[in-house]
Amino acid sequence: MNSAKKKIAFKTLGCRLNQYETDALVSDFDKAGYEVVDFKEHADVVVVNTCTVTNQSDQKSRNTISQAARNNKGSVVVVTGCMANNYKEKLEGEDKITYVVENNRKGSILNLVDGHFGGELIHPEKLHADVFSYQVVDKSLHTRSAIKIQDGCDNFCTFCIIPTVRGRAVSRPLPQIIENVKNTLANGFKELVITGVNIGRYEWEDKRFEDVLEAILSVEGDFRVRISSLEPDGFGDDFVKLFSHPRMTPHLHLCLQSGSDKVLLRMRRMYDLKQFEHTVNLFRAQYPDFNFTTDLIVGFPDESEDDFQESIDAVNRYNFGHVHTFKYSVRKGTRAERMDNHIPDKIKTERSTRIREASEDSRDRYLNSFLGKTETVLIEGINKQQVANGYGEHYIPVHFKAEGLEKNTFARVKLVKVEGRGEDARVIGELVG
Amino acid sequence: MTMDFKPDIKLDETFYKVKEVRRLTEETFSLRLPKSRFTYHAGQHISLGIQGDYQSREYSIYSGENDECLEVLVKEVEDGYFTPKLSKLKPGDLVEVNGPFGKFKIDEKKTADHKFVFVASGTGIAPFRSMVRTYPDLDYTLIHGVRYGKEAYDKDEYAPDRHILCTSGDKTGKVHGRLTKYLKSASFEKKTQFYLCGNSNMIFDALEILKDKGFDRDQIHCEVYF
Repeated sequence: MNSAKKKIAFKTLGCRLNQYETDALVSDFDKAGYEVVDFKEHADVVVVNTCTVTNQSDQKSRNTISQAARNNKGSVVVVTGCMANNYKEKLEGEDKITYVVENNRKGSILNLVDGHFGGELIHPEKLHADVFSYQVVDKSLHTRSAIKIQDGCDNFCTFCIIPTVRGRAVSRPLPQIIENVKNTLANGFKELVITGVNIGRYEWEDKRFEDVLEAILSVEGDFRVRISSLEPDGFGDDFVKLFSHPRMTPHLHLCLQSGSDKVLLRMRRMYDLKQFEHTVNLFRAQYPDFNFTTDLIVGFPDESEDDFQESIDAVNRYNFGHVHTFKYSVRKGTRAERMDNHIPDKIKTERSTRIREASEDSRDRYLNSFLGKTETVLIEGINKQQVANGYGEHYIPVHFKAEGLEKNTFARVKLVKVEGRGEDARVIGELVG
Repeated sequence: MTMDFKPDIKLDETFYKVKEVRRLTEETFSLRLPKSRFTYHAGQHISLGIQGDYQSREYSIYSGENDECLEVLVKEVEDGYFTPKLSKLKPGDLVEVNGPFGKFKIDEKKTADHKFVFVASGTGIAPFRSMVRTYPDLDYTLIHGVRYGKEAYDKDEYAPDRHILCTSGDKTGKVHGRLTKYLKSASFEKKTQFYLCGNSNMIFDALEILKDKGFDRDQIHCEVYF
């Protein structure tokens, strides 16, 4: 770069994969000499990494783009992420946006911006396309780093726009993954989160998801491994056994989406409730405290009150540590858009309230079942009062007095009290030994 | 002139010229496209668009893996948006093909020692024709539920002792009534792989019947049509 240090700000919406990709871009720009500033500060470049999974995400993405342009008049505004794929032409027509970069070229944004400041105007379509060409994330950002092993999805669930905006399923070669893991650990990370759009369908040469996990667990170092999100289809005993490895965290986010088999079929999901239950039981037979978290969609077309009740029953039955509920929203171009009997918003809202209540009860029960037990917490931050926060291996948010301890270290903490409810719930603990 | 294609080119989406619209009944037809370099597994589906139209729809592939044409089976929906347009296509018109997609496939390791039962309603027979044409030695039974016997698409291609036609609107089928009536009364070997394709109500009912008969959900593969 030829002039004073340029300032760059980022804003990320949506999933963990998006967050990882932003983190990697931050590291990229940081290394290239840019000053990374908070989104609220004025910057020469603003990158908005958007999401389009629901109507609400579209709205949030649009608002964020407007906010970025309004607060940074005359600056370079780069819009990327799934909304950039879904509404590319519309966004390209907006004057407030300088560049619209599709997901597969997101990793080359530094080239684009560098070129811009050097007077070289590149059309984003000329950028190198590679969904895995990201920098190793710098440790200053978080204590956990995602490891991207896969992108895209071929499942074509009838409600989901992701196959359209993230593209076909593609798996990262295993040697690249292991190199990324080693570099990430060398940067000081203590927790790796295995990430992708549909990681259970990893397929590279003869390697499958279990092989990737096994290879990562074999890398030397002081770290633990978490899996971000999985589709609940067909896990074998070998997969369950992998969780007995001391580095594996006993937590899975298994996306149930509905407790009704009829609705699951219309969603074109690959499992039924009995299979989901089988997986839960398989794990909990071996690891009784195992934390299952999940996603549920409320108000899918033609969802009857009985279907909905089956989702509530599932929440009450499976002792989820957390349930992320979504009100179904139409995504243009999906099969569900053309289905009959769309549920009125009033009913969706009412069902959403009811299921949230059940979910909060479930979370409360799950967290309370840990009182008196000890967790290994990775410290994410310590405030001025010397209170540390972080997550235990079961993905339980823990706060505890941590004098003399440092961020990004493990601490053994006895859990004594649950505070708050729902998203704000956390467990207060005491340092052991 | 024969063109030599680079083997490493992977087709994901492309335009094809319609070769033939083959009429099977008044409402149902198969659309034949040149297969060219397009490769797929029997049972998979494609997304089909018409040049100049912004919409697309998914169709199971009706042809076998080694057939000369890529073929899909379409039933025209009265007052529908897409199928009447497909129905009016002429040879030479362009359609856009995306794919192939899906995991609704035959497990080749099981072909030698498993029985296969295909359960289809209406045009849900499409992936099964593809499977039967691809695996000529497959030990299969095809249970096809339709309203009238004339909807037994390409019936002559299946061995008569392997094809159970269930007709609910006339008595021309082997079984008069819905296919679920036949499923309830039938018995199957323990080591059977079931493949269900059709509308979600049929699949839901068939799943329940098979589970009641003691078959494991892992033995039952589903492809839902909407």
